[in-house]
Amino acid sequence: MLKAFRISYFLQNTYRVNSMIYSLKQIPLIGRLLPSALYGSRGLKCAVNGISFLWEILSAFLGKFLYLFLMVWLPLELYPAGTTRSDAFLHILVFLTVIGAMMNTWMFNPTNDKYYAMILMRMDARKYTLSNYIYAMMKFGVGFLPFSILFGERAGVPLVLCLLFPLFVVCAKMAFALIALKRYLRTGDCTNENVLDRYLWIFVFVLLAIAYGLPAVSVTLPLQAAGIIFLLVIFSGIYSGTVIRSFPYYREMYQQILAQNRSAADVQTQVRKAVREQNQKYISQETDIKTRKKGFEAFHELFVRRHRKILWKPVKRTTGICSCALLGALIAVRISQPLETAVNSMMMSALPFFCFVMYMCNRGSIYTQVLFMNCDHSMLTYPFYKKPAFILKLFQIRLRELIKMNLPPAMVIGGGLALLLYVTGGTDNVLNYPVLILSVLGMSVFFSVHYLTCYYLLQPYNAYTDMVSTTYRLVTSGTYFVCLFLMRAELDTMVFGSLTILFCVGYCVTACVLVYRLAARTFRLRS
Amino acid sequence: MEFTIEHLKKSFEKKEVLKDVSFTFRGGNIYGLLGRNGAGKTTLFNCLNRDIRTDGGEFWFSDASGRRQAAPDDIGYVLSTPTVPEFLTGKEFLRFFLEINEKQIPDPKPIEEYFRIVNIEPEDQNKLMKDYSHGMKNKMQMLINIIAEPPLLLLDEPLTSLDVVVAEEMKGLLRKLKEDRIIIFSTHIMELALDLCDDIVILNQGRLEEVEKENLNSVEFKNKIIEMLKEEDHA
Repeated sequence: MLKAFRISYFLQNTYRVNSMIYSLKQIPLIGRLLPSALYGSRGLKCAVNGISFLWEILSAFLGKFLYLFLMVWLPLELYPAGTTRSDAFLHILVFLTVIGAMMNTWMFNPTNDKYYAMILMRMDARKYTLSNYIYAMMKFGVGFLPFSILFGERAGVPLVLCLLFPLFVVCAKMAFALIALKRYLRTGDCTNENVLDRYLWIFVFVLLAIAYGLPAVSVTLPLQAAGIIFLLVIFSGIYSGTVIRSFPYYREMYQQILAQNRSAADVQTQVRKAVREQNQKYISQETDIKTRKKGFEAFHELFVRRHRKILWKPVKRTTGICSCALLGALIAVRISQPLETAVNSMMMSALPFFCFVMYMCNRGSIYTQVLFMNCDHSMLTYPFYKKPAFILKLFQIRLRELIKMNLPPAMVIGGGLALLLYVTGGTDNVLNYPVLILSVLGMSVFFSVHYLTCYYLLQPYNAYTDMVSTTYRLVTSGTYFVCLFLMRAELDTMVFGSLTILFCVGYCVTACVLVYRLAARTFRLRS
Repeated sequence: MEFTIEHLKKSFEKKEVLKDVSFTFRGGNIYGLLGRNGAGKTTLFNCLNRDIRTDGGEFWFSDASGRRQAAPDDIGYVLSTPTVPEFLTGKEFLRFFLEINEKQIPDPKPIEEYFRIVNIEPEDQNKLMKDYSHGMKNKMQMLINIIAEPPLLLLDEPLTSLDVVVAEEMKGLLRKLKEDRIIIFSTHIMELALDLCDDIVILNQGRLEEVEKENLNSVEFKNKIIEMLKEEDHA
């Protein structure tokens, strides 16, 4: 069994190391410098193996620390003073552990490494499963031990229960594994922890409500009850271990579980199929959608009208939410004097915050995604569609549409900010009103141009609809982080607003020039 | 009319997929392009269609009036997996294509007539293409690629996944189309290549070479092709 574990561990590590090298090769510039021969480089593999080993140790502890801190310790701070901390701590732990036993089993998670080892390399399924299962359970136990003592003692839980907790977690998982294996023996149906049925989801939500809800009204499991549950689960876990050890049908069971995602390639195929089907659902089946226009205008109008649900419906919803928020803010500032003063001061200094709001409202990301999936993915395979004049013609039409889509919420927000400034006492400099409106509209146009330009210049998808451009990913995440950073900045509205307007105009002009010069070369399917 | 490729090269990192492709295709012929898996058939098509950049070499058309570079309009490329804009009906797609190419197709036929070429029934013409079968999508793709009458048609295993009836229809269509144009037909199925194509070219070790039929009967010709394909193993 040790040999099976050793082989599977190295196999998993190789898979991990190769994935790391593959990710490195996707980074622009760096990727070009790295040859494919790296996959065979012994020195590099040793180094990455070392990192992988350190990560294995770190992940065993870090995950458990975060889990106990975020899911158990922090919520304790929110409960009323009447709630006993030690009881609440154990109460939450018990119910979350039951959920974890069902949703984080190792055994019923159909991962690629299981497929590679048991199906492709035909390793002995029982030896593979048992050796890796023991290792996974040991990782759970050892990882939880220091933090269960650390947080448990601080919450006032007796040390013996803190020591038993890791064993409780492991035994709960084993008890659930026993139930799932028995079910397989009885019915032939396999459990997949990623595909819980409707009733199990309801059960999970009920457990969550009990775990966090009851302590809020000072109702918790008594310490003794938690102790008894610990012991019962540990005993059933020990019994489950004997059944798990002698279970004879691992190979048959995994054939069934892993059939749902046969190989890494097939996982990809399945994801592609799911993405394709999802995108097809966006196409309206209404038969009365027609157009009187011609050429590209007709082509685009049919696209937009047949995708109204995904493209325009959320615009209406966002505009509605913004209008309600504005109305609420107008009422609130009329009622509360301190709020009125605060809002007035905010209008004069918090314009950068609205950069993030505009980022959140903008439809560029979803628009370009639907454009590719349901239109350009097929059209880019036709040579006539890639003529420079046609590419630019369609770019203009699409940009006009995206600006139209982003404008309604921008008008409500921009106009709303100016209105709020006015009703909360106004400003000495009347130019602040147009600056507020224009800068928000400018941000809206900027995001429209930005997303469509990036799509045309970096066209990030290949013929299989996979996003393969790391540069595109970096640019879109960079946009997010810049907006996030601006959210916390406080700058004078006149200064920031004027600079924003200038930047937006400059950016839009530059971006459009770049598209006109380069899109004919860049807007094509990636190989 | 002839289509000439000269010293075409393409490598992916250190792997030379197309080492030195040089060949002249003559108009009015269907060429069967054979090659082992990974020989570079699709890469060759992608280079000719300018979907990927070449590392060297050139290709051009020539006739009595002289030599000219291949423009995007000169090449039709039909993929093995048909891709059509599924949010349009067959008729809308065809109308869109005719409208934006009115300069290239100055005297278009009625739309129904085009559909008759590929046997798409009137009741299917107004259906969204997302509801089309694989074969119908393939026919639409082929139709779009032949209406503008490009002098070069690249077909990347277009018949492999079609049912026998549609495959026969498509073969008939290709035989009709070959007049005044060059069709290069990539396939793994040798019987299909021998049945449909006028000449067989092999992509072997990054080079294109024609298989001379000489006076061989069909079995001997087939054996000769297999021998040539096997040579790669010993290279």
